[in-house]
Amino acid sequence: MKLPQAQVAVLEAASADEQRTIDRIAEEAELKPETATRAAFELDGEGLLELTERTTSDVELTDEARRYVEDGLPELRLYEAAVEAGADEESVQMGQVIGASELEGDVVDIALSNYARKGYGEMDSGEIAADPGADPDADAEATALDALAEGAGAYARETALEDLDNRGLIEQTETVIRSVTLTADGVTALMEGVEAAETVGQITSEMLTSGEWDEVEFADYNVEADAERVVPGRKHALREMAERVKDVLVGMGFQEMQGPHVDADFWINDCLFMPQDHPARNHWDRFALDEPGSIDELPADLVERVEAAHREGVGPDGEGYHSPWNLDFAKALALRGHTTSLTARHLSGEAMGDLEPPRRFFSIEKAYRNDTLDATHLLEFFQIEGWVMAEDLSVRDLMGTFTEFYEQFGITDVEFKPHYNPYTEPSFELFGRHPETGELIEIGNSGLFRPEMLEPLGVDCDVMAWGLALERLFMLATGAEDIRDVHGTLVDLEFLREEEVAR
Amino acid sequence: MPTVEIDPDELRYLTGREDRDDEQLKRDLFGLGLEFEGETDDGEFELEFAPDRLDRLSVEGVARSLRYHYGDDRGVYLPGTNSAEWTVRVEDVPEDRPYVTGAVVRGLDMDDAALESLIQVQEKLHATMGRQRAKGAIGVHDLTMLKGETLREDDDRQKSVTYTGADADEETMVPLEGDQELTLREVLDVHHIGQEYAELVADYASMPAIYDEIGLFSFPPVVNGRRTEVTADSRDLFIEMTGTDQWTVDKMLNIVCYALDARGGKVEEVRVEYTEDAPVTPEAGSELLRPDLVTKMKTVEHGDVETMLGVELDERDVVDLIERSGMDAESTETDDGAAAYRVKVPPYRTDVLHPVDLIDDVGRAYGFNELEPRYPDVSTVGGRHERSRLEDAVRDRLVGQGFEDLLNFHLIDETQNYERLNLAPPDAGSDDRADGANRVQGGDVLGGGEAVTIEQPYSEEFTMVRSWALPSIMMVLENNTHRGYPQDLAEVGFAAHVDESANTNVAERRTVAAALCHAGASYEDVKAALRALVDAFDKHLETPATEHPTFVSGRTASVVVDGEAVGVVGEVHPAVIVEHDIELPVAAFEFDLDALR
Repeated sequence: MKLPQAQVAVLEAASADEQRTIDRIAEEAELKPETATRAAFELDGEGLLELTERTTSDVELTDEARRYVEDGLPELRLYEAAVEAGADEESVQMGQVIGASELEGDVVDIALSNYARKGYGEMDSGEIAADPGADPDADAEATALDALAEGAGAYARETALEDLDNRGLIEQTETVIRSVTLTADGVTALMEGVEAAETVGQITSEMLTSGEWDEVEFADYNVEADAERVVPGRKHALREMAERVKDVLVGMGFQEMQGPHVDADFWINDCLFMPQDHPARNHWDRFALDEPGSIDELPADLVERVEAAHREGVGPDGEGYHSPWNLDFAKALALRGHTTSLTARHLSGEAMGDLEPPRRFFSIEKAYRNDTLDATHLLEFFQIEGWVMAEDLSVRDLMGTFTEFYEQFGITDVEFKPHYNPYTEPSFELFGRHPETGELIEIGNSGLFRPEMLEPLGVDCDVMAWGLALERLFMLATGAEDIRDVHGTLVDLEFLREEEVAR
Repeated sequence: MPTVEIDPDELRYLTGREDRDDEQLKRDLFGLGLEFEGETDDGEFELEFAPDRLDRLSVEGVARSLRYHYGDDRGVYLPGTNSAEWTVRVEDVPEDRPYVTGAVVRGLDMDDAALESLIQVQEKLHATMGRQRAKGAIGVHDLTMLKGETLREDDDRQKSVTYTGADADEETMVPLEGDQELTLREVLDVHHIGQEYAELVADYASMPAIYDEIGLFSFPPVVNGRRTEVTADSRDLFIEMTGTDQWTVDKMLNIVCYALDARGGKVEEVRVEYTEDAPVTPEAGSELLRPDLVTKMKTVEHGDVETMLGVELDERDVVDLIERSGMDAESTETDDGAAAYRVKVPPYRTDVLHPVDLIDDVGRAYGFNELEPRYPDVSTVGGRHERSRLEDAVRDRLVGQGFEDLLNFHLIDETQNYERLNLAPPDAGSDDRADGANRVQGGDVLGGGEAVTIEQPYSEEFTMVRSWALPSIMMVLENNTHRGYPQDLAEVGFAAHVDESANTNVAERRTVAAALCHAGASYEDVKAALRALVDAFDKHLETPATEHPTFVSGRTASVVVDGEAVGVVGEVHPAVIVEHDIELPVAAFEFDLDALR
């Protein structure tokens, strides 16, 4: 049998009849104790040695304690002096007793605090009394200290040791003593003969540069053993999903929009031909701001055109809403309820100047809803918003674009349910088959923007648009059941660490 | 989205299609845009509806739409009306609610199902077009319980009721679901329906009230009187609607009249007489005949239909599709000679504002899902927004440096944002920061900006937009102390504070924040991470000492990138760590993303 050098030496130093400590083995084998220990563990793992461990504790006196062994514990010296001065009958001036005890410096404080703690008497208003019933000869700490000084610490009481430890009079240390005996297999191996093989563990820089690596044998590792768990840096799972959607959209020719999260209701709602008394604009559903309250400036001519569209509609046969419209409401600030406010800013030319068709734009940005938080609804969520601006767009173009988009996520057979939105006509809710469950689920909302929206914004071609929540796509794709585990400060780091990466 | 409850048996009865089973009905309804949501305990369909076709808020209206959908009906249907016997005189009504309309319906084929449907259509109209009764409120009464005042000596069939303002403390009624005579004030104070709608009339100078010869029988928009309550035995009804807009109440009335017509009722006109005492409105001093069951005309161009649907159609097909949508159409030409249609729209339609709405109807009748999707032949160049690319590049670097990327809420509360980070919340609108000698730079430290606050938050935990991201990271650390360490977390995200120099008065910032939390996490470690990040963007980092209340004094530096102070780096103060129940040191930095541009 071939074994590494150290293991051969340890095996030969061990005995089948007698437990031998590693220290003894190391001495006999002429190895460093840590080398002998590692070899013993390895031999134990191979079944050639049996390794046993026991723990012993040692107690050592500190320098302070050695002085007390000599002079007696300060509190006991104080008690003796107090009794001497008659304090066991009547309280005596403290200064007098301390002087008589010959205690000095820090030791006085130590004496006083332990005197009271251990019940040798009381101190009050500069006077000291001694308890006549106290017995300094039976002091557990003094007894333990003496026993330790004589090397009989094992007999000291546990509580006394603890008190001494607290007073900093002793230092306790624990030592693990490992011993080995040869197993039957070990004896057999020795009888059959073992040879030393040159093996190495860690590959060192020295080994590589010296060329030594060519002469050694590499020790086998247990390659099936568990490795340590590391926490790598990684992108947030929802962010990864957003990146994937962005990749798809950029690939389809869409350009990304960004813009204000806090915006005037004009951009969020009025430009979208949402009547001011629409239920979604009432004070409960809107995420209105308290501070600051309103925007400073809106483009005056655009405001005029938008208001006219609300009141009178557009075109020769158009009609407006029978709803109030006022500028103060339009100027009021809110956290945007949808990112369509960005679309309005872009279409109007406010964001990046007048746009010439054809254009495709998208954003994956946060929208806000004033509601309560639950497992499927957040107060803030990522809205995927996309639109195409071109001449003569039809419902078929809209269907083709969205069919293409959803196919990228494994959702086929998209169905279009006629729907109503104040700012699109025709409008469709999009339904698709869940890739795993086969269930028909809502996957978005879409439509062609109404003339009442486009005309005031100065757009004279068609624009089709759609939107959906990124979280919805995420929950579909990952099976996550509580969106709060993912998004927000209640996030479970373990969930993020274990979530499969998007690809 | 609102739902409407429809009894499938009623639907089969009213459409005359007794053979359609439930599943077929569900598909038919989906085609109309009414999605099946579930069943009620009594086996009715709960349907989700989009609030455009308010005429479909009743089983009668849905049945009418289905009959068109099946092709069993075509073209515009107008209920016949008898001429008016009843008049509503409008006198000194509250200025906030000047409009009224009304109708009489006689000879109804009423039963429990019909009554239930009538109650539902009222509720749903209140919830939608009526804006919770603020804009329009409906009162339906048993006509036989009304005693009109005789209008003319020579014709005892001409009777009237009066809509006027009433004194809340003087006038009394026995409200529906009540058994004692109450003043209107008491109705608002103690009656459960009164309490629910009291807010609507809280600011009115007088209470809206409708009287007949016997007394007050309706207190719109709050509650009707018990005397005229409608039951399954009622045959003749008097309907009144009051509101803030004549068009709105008239349209609501049309929808109710169509539903009652489908139940065999005969609609009879009511005269609405705005007297000289009525508030000054466009209708003051005039007399209207209601319901206003007149059609309106819109012109739709043939080319627009083809463009929007993306298919070629015969003129005859278009006319057919329009008729199958419950409208009439005749071919015509526009002024510049394009083929077009004159379309007659029935009076229950409240959603037709523009010809595109009619093209939508044509598409629905054609069947949108019959259309073949095509990818638009339009070429554009895609690309990412510059800032979004930068955000991603920074995130990638942080992840490469071993940080776990976070995505936190932008909303937070004041305590989390300021106080728990040892920051004093800045006084709104106050520039006087000279009070406390220990207040370092006052509200000028990172995160100390004035809060952008929510007006009516639902939750105490989300009352403002965070002014920096570090509080969110500290909350994540706090919520994950049971998870494995190290927890080295980072976020590239959004923060905002009040800034009067901006048009929206809000400065919106993209911020880069990171925290190391593990045994031994120190200033050196976090500065090393910061430096690696800043170096990667070819920028020059300096870290002159500064003070920030969140961090340990003497271990805090200003983040200066290319000579500009953009953030803070340091060891988080033990008081802040302990406040978040964290038992390991935290070292962190946060700075403006734009510094890395």
